[in-house]
Amino acid sequence: MKLTSLLNTRIVILDGATGTELQKSGMPQGVAPEKWVLENPRILTRVACDYRDAGSDIVYTCTFGANRYKLAQYKISDVQKINTRIARITRRALGKNTLIAGDIGPTGKFIEPFGPVPFDEAVAAFKEQIKGLVAGGVDLLVIETMMDIQEARAALIAAREVTNMFTMVTMTYERDGRTLNGTDPVTALVTLQSLGAHAVGCNCSTGPGDMVRFIAQMKPYARVPLLAKPNAGMPRLQKGKTVFDMSPKEFSGYAGEFAKAGINLMGGCCGTSPEYIRELKKQLRNKKPQTPRRFFLSALSSSRTHVIIEKDSPLIIIGECINPTGKKSLQKELREKKTALLRQLASEQVRHGADMLDVNVGASGVDEAEMLKEAIKVLAVNTTVPLVIDSSDIRAIADALKLYPGRALVNSISGEKAKLKKMLPLIKKYGAMAIVLPLTDKGVPHTCLKRKKAVNEIYRKVKRAGLAKEDIVVDALALTVSSDRQAPGETLNTIRWCHDEFDAATVVGLSNISFGLPRRSQLNSAFLAMASSCGLTMAIANPLSEGLMHMRHSSDVLTGKDDKAVRFIRYVQEESGGTSSKSAALPASPQERVYTAILEGNRQEIEQYIGEALKGGIDAEKIMQEGMVTAINTVGELFDKKEYFLPQLIASAETMKQGFEFLKPHLKNTQGHREKRNVIMLATVKGDIHDIGKNIVALMLENHGFHVIDLGKDVSVEKIINEIKKHKSPLIGLSALMTTTMVNMQDVVDAVRKESLDCRFIVGGAVITKSFAHSLGAEYAADGVAAVRVAKSLSARKTE
Amino acid sequence: MIHVEFFDLITIEIPYPKVYSRLGYAKGTTTLTSRQKADIEKNIDEASGYITLKGAGCRLAIERKEEHKVVLSGAIEFNSQAISRFLHDSQEVLFMGATAGADIINKIKEQAAHDNVTAAVVFDALASEMVDEALSWIMEFFDYQVRRENKQLTPGRYSAGYNDFSLDNQKIMCETLQMSELGVKLNDHYILIPEKSVTAIAGIQPI
Repeated sequence: MKLTSLLNTRIVILDGATGTELQKSGMPQGVAPEKWVLENPRILTRVACDYRDAGSDIVYTCTFGANRYKLAQYKISDVQKINTRIARITRRALGKNTLIAGDIGPTGKFIEPFGPVPFDEAVAAFKEQIKGLVAGGVDLLVIETMMDIQEARAALIAAREVTNMFTMVTMTYERDGRTLNGTDPVTALVTLQSLGAHAVGCNCSTGPGDMVRFIAQMKPYARVPLLAKPNAGMPRLQKGKTVFDMSPKEFSGYAGEFAKAGINLMGGCCGTSPEYIRELKKQLRNKKPQTPRRFFLSALSSSRTHVIIEKDSPLIIIGECINPTGKKSLQKELREKKTALLRQLASEQVRHGADMLDVNVGASGVDEAEMLKEAIKVLAVNTTVPLVIDSSDIRAIADALKLYPGRALVNSISGEKAKLKKMLPLIKKYGAMAIVLPLTDKGVPHTCLKRKKAVNEIYRKVKRAGLAKEDIVVDALALTVSSDRQAPGETLNTIRWCHDEFDAATVVGLSNISFGLPRRSQLNSAFLAMASSCGLTMAIANPLSEGLMHMRHSSDVLTGKDDKAVRFIRYVQEESGGTSSKSAALPASPQERVYTAILEGNRQEIEQYIGEALKGGIDAEKIMQEGMVTAINTVGELFDKKEYFLPQLIASAETMKQGFEFLKPHLKNTQGHREKRNVIMLATVKGDIHDIGKNIVALMLENHGFHVIDLGKDVSVEKIINEIKKHKSPLIGLSALMTTTMVNMQDVVDAVRKESLDCRFIVGGAVITKSFAHSLGAEYAADGVAAVRVAKSLSARKTE
Repeated sequence: MIHVEFFDLITIEIPYPKVYSRLGYAKGTTTLTSRQKADIEKNIDEASGYITLKGAGCRLAIERKEEHKVVLSGAIEFNSQAISRFLHDSQEVLFMGATAGADIINKIKEQAAHDNVTAAVVFDALASEMVDEALSWIMEFFDYQVRRENKQLTPGRYSAGYNDFSLDNQKIMCETLQMSELGVKLNDHYILIPEKSVTAIAGIQPI
């Protein structure tokens, strides 16, 4: 019976663990199982037959590690031949009534962008194994125990390049439902089924109790059958041997739950044996399979998350900022092949609520294909959300799609015949989705009517390429209102037509609408709300625009896309501070504004507020003492009570410093004040290169009127002694981060005593304790605020 | 021959809560204005652009354990009671090392030099937390592998410089892990350069 027919009639039974069965039959530790079974074909035959006799409809070949990387560890190079021979022995053993799955396991290597193995090399390695399995007569392929979605992609692409054979892919998830690189079951499903997997699922790592959850999570989005091969519970050591804590009966007791969750194929992994499969078969005998619930699925994925695109679901925002047009700094960075700004733009947009990121690196002087590949590599690792590959360069798109470890959205395809002919097979091969621009070879259609015609024409070709309406997003073409006042109306009509009649998702490049006009953000936000009410699915927009994001969430509530306003309420709560933030009330007087600016660490406006206070006739000395000094003391108190944490303390100190520099020319006795300042010398001791703590202390002390002589880090005893003599500094602050370098503080103290220099020590640093400080005869300061307190106290004593 | 597994790009998400916590944020006590929060998170985003996490890991068999000494394959000896206790149930050890790279260190210096100590402190905290997370990632990677051999990693890890496991042990760990391949060197005081680089040891024991 064909597998596809079997899947319609019942839940298909897979086999159980192979390795442990081979070990029971005498396979020693440390050998290559594939080599060992070829030397012991009778055992291989018996294990396969045991599973068949226990009720397995499909038995996996013993080729889990038969790839070039794993076999090389045993100095075996004839990969294809080994796979063929094992598949043939298995075929001979099982005859024609049991299906044989050619088993493909992980290579143990990370594939780019997550590791050093080039993607093409990984595909070639898997093809080598698959060709061997196919030549050996397997009925189907199974790519299993994958913990890296990119490796699963490479294996699946290899399978598709070799054969159209039914191919199953299973990932292995930890109990938290994620792989090592953070892929969850639904995300993997979105990626793998769009790439052509015929069945998707999970195996190993967890027992049936956890795995049934993963199946239930996937089922609503599955276009393909789902499979599971759980372990027999969790392993434990018993009389020196590893045993799994579930009996065959307990294991198969989960069969009902799996059937309810929508399983289509089931077997066992580590710790299971033919006995487990026999029990499982009994329990699943009368359970009806649930066929996949979807024919198509409009969804995108990264390696770590996915976005499901459904009619009337909340508006999706595609961050537009990774685009060098009009951004000189980004252009420069791309020309220099750097990616720091790219990563920063990605993090910022995601943090501000972007659901996906548009990636466009086209600029003069930039090799777009190379740079797009680099950008995709960097962003696939450094950002969580799915990417939109935005380019007009077909080679660049092809390379990016191949490398992207998820299901990407291509921006864009249009009716230009020559280009469409090349683009559609690419989109199909890599399982991507595409934005359809309703452009033809004749140019941009300005009316909704003409756009409808263009979309329909392109869609006919899309269908012919084997893609569905769910694989496209129609660009409703937002054109500039300043040059055509009818343009917004035509765009809205196109959105409405797509939503009500054509039944496809839509997108607009929002910022185009306001081009050439002032207050663009307001216009963009207003148009977003209008488009949303017409059924817009997604907008390419700037998520850093607060007004736009407010409008996005508000319009979702008002158009019924945000049921019970749950997302809106969460957005408002997060906005008002997931980390306990508060909105400061606007202070009334200029002097209060100075005080508040320091309290809040507002460096941008401190000079303006001081200027306003001076203009208002307030004496500079008064601004200094009553506004600034009071504020910085309050900051210290707040830090002591933990109401402020380190960044707030330092930001306030830096604002104070900047404010003081600005105010200094207006202070009558600045010069005298400076001369009278207490001197303190700071150094990180010899051998220690960590100086961030010392820098904070320096800043704090300066703000409290100390003249700081900072000697830097890794400072020798000799240098410290010479500088003390030179500056006659009565106070010395020493810092050390390491246990190995803190002992060098003693050398400094000893040298000072030997030279009979009159100075006092304050010590601090991560490993320094009060008792250690006292053992040196020094004072201890736990942080910058404490250092100021101690330094003031020592200076006062000195003066007395 | 010790096989070292290198990880060119370790994928982890920005651990915002850990960064806040490292900087002294006390839940329920510390309060921030929207502006302060935005400034801090902008710094975190910027810093993340300069961090490239790389790592290395390798397994070594334990040949002998005494009260104050552990002998590993390759004639590596650790004279430490703390390590001996830590590896009490282990048959093998995992050496691991990770770095956040030199770019972030240069950026921290640059920020501090330009009177932007706030940014420097946030950058510093992010790099520390990210590199620590990278070690956790490496442990998870090896834990997954050893579980298929019915073994598991010790829940924690140990770094040189703690208790009687002296910092000079970092030299042999650094050499064994071939940390130079990751651009990491050891200075005369056994401190890893660039600064945000770490090594650690974990035990591998039967389940």
